[in-house]
Amino acid sequence: MHADLLPVALANYVALSSVIFFIGVAGVVLRRNPLIMLMSIELMWNAANLLFLAFARAWLNNAGHIFAFLVITVAAAEAAIGLAIVVIVFRSRANVDVDEIALMKG
Amino acid sequence: MPNFITHQDWLAITPLLIAGGGALIVLLVDLLWPKHSPRAVSLAIGIGVLLAAGAFAATTYGRSYNAFNGGFMLGGFAVVFQEIIVLSAILSLSLFGTFGRDDRMAGITALLLWSTTGAMLMAGAANLMTIFLGLELLSLALYCLCGVADRAASQESALKYLILSSTASGFLLFGMALLFGATGSVTLASLMLPGLAANPLYWMGGGFFLVGIAFKLSLMPFHVWSPDVYEGAPLPVTAFMSVVTKAGTLAVFARFAYALPAGGKLLLPFFVIAGVSMIGGNLAMLAQTDLKRLLAYSGVAQAGYMVAALAGASALGMRYAIYYLAAYMFMNLGAFAIVAVLSGEREEGAQIAAFRGLGQRRPWLAAAMSFFLLALAGFPPTAGFLGKILILAATVNAGYAWLAALLIAGTAISLYAYFKVLRLMYDPHDQPAPGPRTSAPLAYAGAALCAAFVIIMTFYPLTPSNVLPLVK
Amino acid sequence: MTPYAPVAIFAAVAVAAALAFSLLPGLLAQRKPNPEKEKAYECGVEPTSAIAGRFPVKFYLIAMLFVILDVEAASFYPWAVQMHALRMFGLIEMGAFIVVLGIGYAYVWKKRGFEWR
Repeated sequence: MHADLLPVALANYVALSSVIFFIGVAGVVLRRNPLIMLMSIELMWNAANLLFLAFARAWLNNAGHIFAFLVITVAAAEAAIGLAIVVIVFRSRANVDVDEIALMKG
Repeated sequence: MPNFITHQDWLAITPLLIAGGGALIVLLVDLLWPKHSPRAVSLAIGIGVLLAAGAFAATTYGRSYNAFNGGFMLGGFAVVFQEIIVLSAILSLSLFGTFGRDDRMAGITALLLWSTTGAMLMAGAANLMTIFLGLELLSLALYCLCGVADRAASQESALKYLILSSTASGFLLFGMALLFGATGSVTLASLMLPGLAANPLYWMGGGFFLVGIAFKLSLMPFHVWSPDVYEGAPLPVTAFMSVVTKAGTLAVFARFAYALPAGGKLLLPFFVIAGVSMIGGNLAMLAQTDLKRLLAYSGVAQAGYMVAALAGASALGMRYAIYYLAAYMFMNLGAFAIVAVLSGEREEGAQIAAFRGLGQRRPWLAAAMSFFLLALAGFPPTAGFLGKILILAATVNAGYAWLAALLIAGTAISLYAYFKVLRLMYDPHDQPAPGPRTSAPLAYAGAALCAAFVIIMTFYPLTPSNVLPLVK
Repeated sequence: MTPYAPVAIFAAVAVAAALAFSLLPGLLAQRKPNPEKEKAYECGVEPTSAIAGRFPVKFYLIAMLFVILDVEAASFYPWAVQMHALRMFGLIEMGAFIVVLGIGYAYVWKKRGFEWR
C-alpha cells in the first residue's frame, strides 16, 4: 500500500464514495421516476468507480483504472438499454412514474 | 511483436467466441434476408451455434486452462457449468416455437446467445473484472429479452428487472471496489491472503459483494424482483432466466466461497438467508395462482438448496450442488415446456386454472407435468429426491445440520404446494376447461428430452469428480 | 481503533440522521389535506398543467444513440495512446471492435432506428 502517494488520506475517499453510494441507494428507494432511478443507479456505479481509482493509486495497481473504464463502458450500455426500456414502457402511457406501473406487486 | 494473447487464451474463450459471434451471424442473416429472416432460420442458427459452442467446451473437459492472467479459468468445474448453461439455452430456444413476433425473432435469438455468452463467461470467471463483465453481459441482454412481448406486463417487468438488478449490480460493484482496496488485486486468489480478517474493508466489501450475489440468486430477503419479472417476461425467457442466471451466479459464488480461507465467517449470513429462502420460498408458493410465479418462488427455494450444498466448501458439496443444478434444469425447463405447449401468444397456460381437468383432456401432458412437479418437490424416486438426499448428506457432513433441518422442513411445505396443482389436474369433479391447441413440435421435443434426462439422472447419478473451483 | 472507524461512525450518523429527518414528520405531524393544499403553489398562481413538462419520446432515442457512440469514442482513446506499443495486435482488435459495432449500426439502420418519427 502506498497511501502516502495520495494527496488526501485514503479514508476520505472511502467516506466520500460511501456517501455518494448511499445517496444513489436512497434515490432508487425513494424516487418513483424511472429516469431519476436510472440516474441514481449511475451514481452508485460511479461511487464504486471513484473507489477503484483511489485504490488503484494507493496500491499502484493499474487494474483499478482498467476496471473503472470497464464500468464506464458497461454503464453506458446499461443506460442505453434503460432509456430504451423506458421509451417502450411509456410510448403507450402518458406518465413516467413507477407508481403508475402497478400491474404486478411483489 | 509482443504476444498479448496466447494460444491458450484463445482456446479457453473459443466457446464464448462461437456463441457471441453466432449472434452476429444471426443478425447478419436477418439483415441480408429480403424482408426479415423467417423464425425457423434464426432458431436453427441459434441452436446450431449453441451446439457447436457446447461441443467445443466439452473438448476442454479434463484440462485446466488459466487464461488471461488468471482472469478466466477453465477446468472441470467451469466446463460443467458451461454445458448446463448451453443446454438450458438450447431448451429455452426450443420453446420459442410460437412466442413473440416473427420479425423480432432474429433479435431475440441474438440477445439470448449474448446472454448465454455472459453466463458462460461467469462460469469461468476468476477475477473481479471477468465476473462483472460476465454478469453484466448476461443481465443486459436479459433486460431486453424480458420486454420483447407486446404486453404491458412484459415491458413493465423489463423496467422492474432493469432497475432492481442494476441496483444489485451497484452493490456488487461497490463490494468489488472495497475488496480491491483490501487486497490490492482483482484476482480472487488474493482473497486467500492471511491477515485479511483484520481489515474492515474486507468485511465491508465481502458483505456488499454477497448482497449483490444473493440478489442475483433471488435468495429470500432479496427476491422481490423474481416473481414479478418471471410473471411478466415471455415464457421462454422466464425459462431461460430461471436456470441460466442461477447457474452463472452459483458458479461465481462457488468460486468466491471456495477461495475464502476455510469458508470464512463472512459466508455464515449468506447460508442463513439460504435457509430463510428454503422456508420462505416454499411458503410463498402456497398463495400463487400463476404457474410462473409459483415456479419463481420454487426457484427461490431451489437456489437456497443449491447454496446450502456449498456450505463448508467441501469437494463433495460442489459435486452435489452441480448434480442438483443439472436436475433442476431438466425438471424446471420440462415444466416450462409443458406450460408452453398449453399456451398461445397470450400465455393463458401460465394460469394454474388452465390445468383444471387436464388429466382428462390430455392425459399424457398431465402425466408429464405431474412428473416434473413431483421431481421439483423432491418426491421419491426422482432425480429431485436424490439431489436433495445428496445435499442433505453434504450439509450434515460439513457440520451445518441446521441447514439440513431447514431443507427437510422446506421440502415438506413445498409438497403441499405442488400437490395443489396435481389435485387440480386430476380432480374428477372438475369440468375440463377448454384450452388452446397449439402445435409446437419443438416444445414437445424439449419436454420429452427433459423427462428423459430426469429419468436418466435418477438411475445414473453421475457427477464429475474434479469439480473444485480453481482460483490459482 | 482502525483508520476506518471514523468512516463507520460517520456513515452510521448520516444514515440515522437521514432516517430520522424523513421518518419523524410522518410520525409527529398532523395531516389534514384538502385540494387547495395539495396544489404545487398553495396560494398564488393557479396551476395550468402538470408540473414537469413531457418530452417527446424521440429525444430519448437520440440520447440513447448518443450515449453509445460517446462511450465508443472514449474506448478508442486508450488504444490511440498505446497504438505503437500494441502494434498489429491492437489494430486487429480495434478492427474487430469496429466490425461488431458496424453490424449493430447496420441492424439499427435496417430496422429504421435512425428515422425521426
